[in-house]
Amino acid sequence: MGPVQVLVVGFDRPTFSGEVLAELTRLREAGIVRLVDLLLLSRAEDGTFETLAKPAGANADIGGLAAAVLGWPEGEANAESVLDSSSDDLTAWSLADVVPPGSAVAVALIEHIWATPLTEAIQRAGGNPLEETWLAPGDLEVLEALIIHRGR
Amino acid sequence: MRLVPRQLQRAGMTGNVPYYGGRFSPAQAYAAAHPSGPPVPPTTRARSHADTLAALQHLLDNGVITTPEYAEMRARVVA
Repeated sequence: MGPVQVLVVGFDRPTFSGEVLAELTRLREAGIVRLVDLLLLSRAEDGTFETLAKPAGANADIGGLAAAVLGWPEGEANAESVLDSSSDDLTAWSLADVVPPGSAVAVALIEHIWATPLTEAIQRAGGNPLEETWLAPGDLEVLEALIIHRGR
Repeated sequence: MRLVPRQLQRAGMTGNVPYYGGRFSPAQAYAAAHPSGPPVPPTTRARSHADTLAALQHLLDNGVITTPEYAEMRARVVA
């Protein structure tokens, strides 16, 4: 399986629109990404999370995988599942870090199919990835200007 | 169904890239993950332009682009 991205998106109304799903379908057909699962959640002001109704027309089991990976049904949580906000482990995170109380979100698990051959090629070449990030809007603007200027 | 978030580990797309690369203190990382609110579009736009102009100046100072190239791209940014 390729690397799976967790995309957490806040919405006024907690749903992925048909346009978003259509684009994900197009990317899947192109072998680029695959929507593994989609979970709709709300967070109450007291901080508790609740799963929301499935989108209209969605499969009956949608959201189950994401819920199982990202959380525990209440009553099954154990001490290890509680994020220690004082932890120095910067790689640790949970939905509680990113979803504000009193909001609703769509959480998508997206497999990046294209990344598997690239990762394997990097490993075969003995490469050691040191950083992955996205260009900030200002830097992206510079890059676009340079590309246009150089006619690439 | 009520859901209790579980603690997960971040990972990179091409491997176990160390997130933040040690450049952020824990407090900075926490602040980055908890923005105080959505940015105000006009301010963001202005900041973006300022960042772009600063980046262009950096490219010019380091000889990546020529003075005419700098002038042309700067004109596009401020247009």
